[in-house]
Amino acid sequence: MKLRSIGYMIRQGISNIDRNKMFSVASIATMTACIFLFGAFMSILLNVNALRTELEEQVGVTVFFTEGITEDEIQKIGEQITKIEHVTEIHYTSAEEAWEKYKEERFGSNPQLAEGFKENPLANSASFTIFVDKIENQQQVVDEIGKIEGVRQINQSSAAAKNLKGFNKIFSYISAGVIAVLLIVSIILIMNTITVGITVRKEEIVLMKLIGATDSFVRGPFIIEGLLLGLIGSAIPLGILYAVYNLLISRLLARFGFLNAMGGVLLNVNQVFAILLPLGVLLGIGIGVAGARITVKRHLDV
Amino acid sequence: MIDLDRVSKQYENGQLAVDEISLHVDKGEFVFLVGDSGSGKSTLIRLLLKELEPTEGIITVNGKVLNTMKRSKIPFYRRNIGMVFQDFRLLEELDVYENVALAMRAVEASPREIKRRVPEVLKEVGLAGKYKSLPRQLSGGEQQRVAIARAVVNKPQILLADEPTGNLDPRNSYEIMKLIEGINEQGTTVLMVTHDKGLVDQFQKRVIAMRNGSIARDVEEGGYIEA
Repeated sequence: MKLRSIGYMIRQGISNIDRNKMFSVASIATMTACIFLFGAFMSILLNVNALRTELEEQVGVTVFFTEGITEDEIQKIGEQITKIEHVTEIHYTSAEEAWEKYKEERFGSNPQLAEGFKENPLANSASFTIFVDKIENQQQVVDEIGKIEGVRQINQSSAAAKNLKGFNKIFSYISAGVIAVLLIVSIILIMNTITVGITVRKEEIVLMKLIGATDSFVRGPFIIEGLLLGLIGSAIPLGILYAVYNLLISRLLARFGFLNAMGGVLLNVNQVFAILLPLGVLLGIGIGVAGARITVKRHLDV
Repeated sequence: MIDLDRVSKQYENGQLAVDEISLHVDKGEFVFLVGDSGSGKSTLIRLLLKELEPTEGIITVNGKVLNTMKRSKIPFYRRNIGMVFQDFRLLEELDVYENVALAMRAVEASPREIKRRVPEVLKEVGLAGKYKSLPRQLSGGEQQRVAIARAVVNKPQILLADEPTGNLDPRNSYEIMKLIEGINEQGTTVLMVTHDKGLVDQFQKRVIAMRNGSIARDVEEGGYIEA
């Protein structure tokens, strides 16, 4: 196929869509629904994932020591923990610091309440807070720390992150199922649209083949038709999603100020669209071209 | 130019349309293919276009064996053949110019070439003033002229015409025949299926008469019926 034929094929592809408006609109509408849902699910998944990563970074393991342990021994335990694989950070909190923090959190407004304690009631609460690279590796690190002499108790607080991971998994399955159904419906509608186009132009196609047109030249306009339907069918939902997401995020942040305080837990529209835009467009073009290819292969064997 | 060596074509329903035909047509020859309906003329044309595959025998055109030709090569083979149909097969929504240009677009000719060649060939067939007319605005004879222009616009070496005068009155038939004869005189090999006794008798070309899928008669400068 020659390069100069591309222009002719694009014109024919557009003319096919124009001749067959009803089916074209139906295809675009279904594809719009499919890609809109895909985009909505993706936006939620991306946000939940970002939240999980954030939590993973914030959630640490706290290690407490046996009673009567010396500062030297604690330091040695710290050195051993640092050497464990996957440990990224380690912070020491002395018993005094723990008590100060507790007083501030609990008796902040009534400091006189704490005066009743003559000695530090948290004398045995010196601890290390340890951060690991990934939540999946936390248990392994905990097991290793458990083997160290002088360690009394290890607290893990990863439940939230683990739950989010589980949620993401289930949500992914449900969305994949819904998207798969819509994907099939979209492809079938595209195939119907292209079939109608081929039927209308059957006489012309047979003639072109007898005159000496190559297969690719005859098929080209229909593939372009599918591609254009796919492009339009992805541009519309992506445009709507962009506007809706932007609006939703600004409303959420305005209403629930704490989300801001959580350090940008919600992704902004550009962060989401950096992933969603190429994926959505590729999906649209994929549906369009796949539907067109299957149809021309079936109907254009002259 | 065209060689058929014991070629047969049996359709899936068992009908034997062409029965062991052997035939040779030289470059630049004009051949009338005559015979009753169902005698195998149109099947022969479709075999030459490689629209159908022979059940037996070998077809060679321009030194190329059609039986073994790859699918990807068929379009390029067909570019050497111009085809004219009884029912013209013009696209109703395209004007005269576009109907002819379609044949050049199909072979991916350059726009400049199309702009130069289409008016030239329309002038040759006597339709210089009718570029913008739609097929339904033309007479039968004019429509067949457009179809002939479309068939020869790519300068094929062979012109296959399947009853090109079948839908025309005697005067238009004669004019179309003169046009095809003129194309032949420029060097194009012509194979013309016809039922028009008057034309065959008047033009005195080679006549191949078919009966029940076989060649019943093959004479140089003959008439429609055996003398």
